[in-house]
Amino acid sequence: MTRPLALAFLSAAAAFAQAPAKPAEPAAKPAPPAPTFATSLDHSLAGVESEVVPAVEALGEEKFGFAPTAGEFKGVKTFAQQAKHIAAVNIMLAAAILEEKPAMDPGSGENGPDSVKTKAEVVKYLKDSYAYLHKAFGTLSERNVLGLVKSPWGDGKTSRLSLATIGVSHGFDHYGQIAVYLRMNGIVPPASRR
Amino acid sequence: MRTLPLMLALSLAAPMAAQDMAAKPAEKKAAAKPAPKKMDATVGQALDGTYQWVVGQFMGAADAMPEDKFGFAPTNGEFKGVKTYAQQVKHVAAINYFLGSIILGEKPPVEIGNPEMGPDNLKTKAEILKFMKDSFAYSTKAIRSLTAANATKEVKNPFMDGMLTLAGIANLLSFHGMDHYGQMVVYLRMNGIIPPASRPRPAGH
Repeated sequence: MTRPLALAFLSAAAAFAQAPAKPAEPAAKPAPPAPTFATSLDHSLAGVESEVVPAVEALGEEKFGFAPTAGEFKGVKTFAQQAKHIAAVNIMLAAAILEEKPAMDPGSGENGPDSVKTKAEVVKYLKDSYAYLHKAFGTLSERNVLGLVKSPWGDGKTSRLSLATIGVSHGFDHYGQIAVYLRMNGIVPPASRR
Repeated sequence: MRTLPLMLALSLAAPMAAQDMAAKPAEKKAAAKPAPKKMDATVGQALDGTYQWVVGQFMGAADAMPEDKFGFAPTNGEFKGVKTYAQQVKHVAAINYFLGSIILGEKPPVEIGNPEMGPDNLKTKAEILKFMKDSFAYSTKAIRSLTAANATKEVKNPFMDGMLTLAGIANLLSFHGMDHYGQMVVYLRMNGIIPPASRPRPAGH
């Protein structure tokens, strides 16, 4: 279904459900809430997610093990490993921001758990990791954003704000690589088709 | 790319030190200094800590490609219309100026041409790298200017309808650079070059 059409259906259904006996007084539009650290950072994360997830979904499952070979590519991540690595880092960042044990398994290395194998499993793992990171971003406030928490890497501490900005930028490092891998397989990345 | 734990340990070390230094005086004067003042001193530093990870990796990669390959773009696949290596660098630099100027509330201090491609007159590797380095210095200055008071201030989104906060623009600076860095590392490897940030470090370093 096209998006405008879907929205028209949704609006019509909502209007029907809410139809009052008398015409309602036009309600004053409430002012949008003022942006906060949580909404501002989460907006950035949503932007990254909206490019990364469709890009991962765009490659056929039979190519998920693809990695380039013509050049200096010894030891680089396969397409699936790029996606799983983004997810694993998302999970570690979310857990660090929330100061809790990871709610999902980040795996023991860089590339997530070995048990995540099929395209469906990789995509679900990636999407779930973003949901977890969104949850963590939702807890950020002026009061805690500069609070120091244990770094997921090494013994040091760092601020929640630093971890949140890594969560946004790190995904795009690997998105750039994923985009080239897609093009090498004859696929224009979805975000570049607009 | 170098393994993330080491990279991040290195990139986080500086902002952590800065934050620790900021925290100590604040503890001593806890009664006299309200909490927002402490945030004012460190929001820009915290954002910049991540940003310098971007700057370091991007500039190292840009410098690693020989000048005779600056016009390289892949052809084996669906690469019609993609940016060449030089265009990736010039584009990121132009956007650095463009977004940095929005944070600082001023016009870009240099001619950036069409931000999609950067100035046409920059041709040699030396010219392009200078433009890039100067642009990162400018965007770094912009990010460091952010405080708790202005980070959630909204400005018009320069690329689409709607608004963005200045912290959102700072994030855009970071992730936009990393998007193109990710493409450049594959271009480097296609040319037989391991990106500097991914090379093994000598023992003891």
